[in-house]
Amino acid sequence: MKQGLIFILFLIVLTSICDTINQLFLKSTINSLNASLTGSILKILRFVLKLIMIGRVWIGFLFAVLSLCIWLFVLSKADLNFAFSADSMHYIFIAFASRFVLKEKVGLKRWVGTIFIILGIILVSLS
Amino acid sequence: MFKKKLTLKILLFLIFSDILETLTQLFFKKSVLTESAFFPARMLDIFIFLKTVSASWFLWLGLLTVVLTFIIWSTILSKIDLSVAIPIASFSYILVPLVSIIFLHEKVSTIRWLGILFILGGVIFVSLSSKEKESSL
Repeated sequence: MKQGLIFILFLIVLTSICDTINQLFLKSTINSLNASLTGSILKILRFVLKLIMIGRVWIGFLFAVLSLCIWLFVLSKADLNFAFSADSMHYIFIAFASRFVLKEKVGLKRWVGTIFIILGIILVSLS
Repeated sequence: MFKKKLTLKILLFLIFSDILETLTQLFFKKSVLTESAFFPARMLDIFIFLKTVSASWFLWLGLLTVVLTFIIWSTILSKIDLSVAIPIASFSYILVPLVSIIFLHEKVSTIRWLGILFILGGVIFVSLSSKEKESSL
């Protein structure tokens, strides 16, 4: 049981990393477009269309598909309420990736929030 | 530049996206319910798993709600800041366990609820701090 839990957590780490890589590609591609996303739904759809024309974004989508495959496997093994709660760890990876890959500023509040999420995941996994 | 006012319409959109996200997870879980004994011994087995799962209607329903959620999210984010949207959207961390109890007959212990509250608090903290960043820009 305990070994199974570690294996499931490991797989959730994998999906979260895949998700984070997808977000990094998405964000860096959107940054390169240099557009502000305000306006009508039509404008947003046009923006999305422009976005998916860029090859780089599809590398991200590839990781999203990979993440979905692992996620389905995780769900086949674990309770939904546990898996969904534990999946919140992608916030942690995104905080680190934003800081070290995209060189964004990550404030104190955000690190505190990250620690709260870690504690929450530990509590969820204990039960 | 940034629109911060949370109108009733946007709030309803947010609640709708919460429900969609929860439905997505419920559909995904339903699509693999019969596969709980599956374990891949070889790499090829993963494709067999995916083939079986893709035969389930629930998977396609789940993918449909993913696309819907994405469209609604894009609309929401064009109207309000992420730091306002995420705390409201993260109510799915409460909705998913509730749905798990009602529709999947899963058990959620008190310690787990406590953990979920921690996660919820953490997510709200993480998103609120994006205000600092915006104001420094």
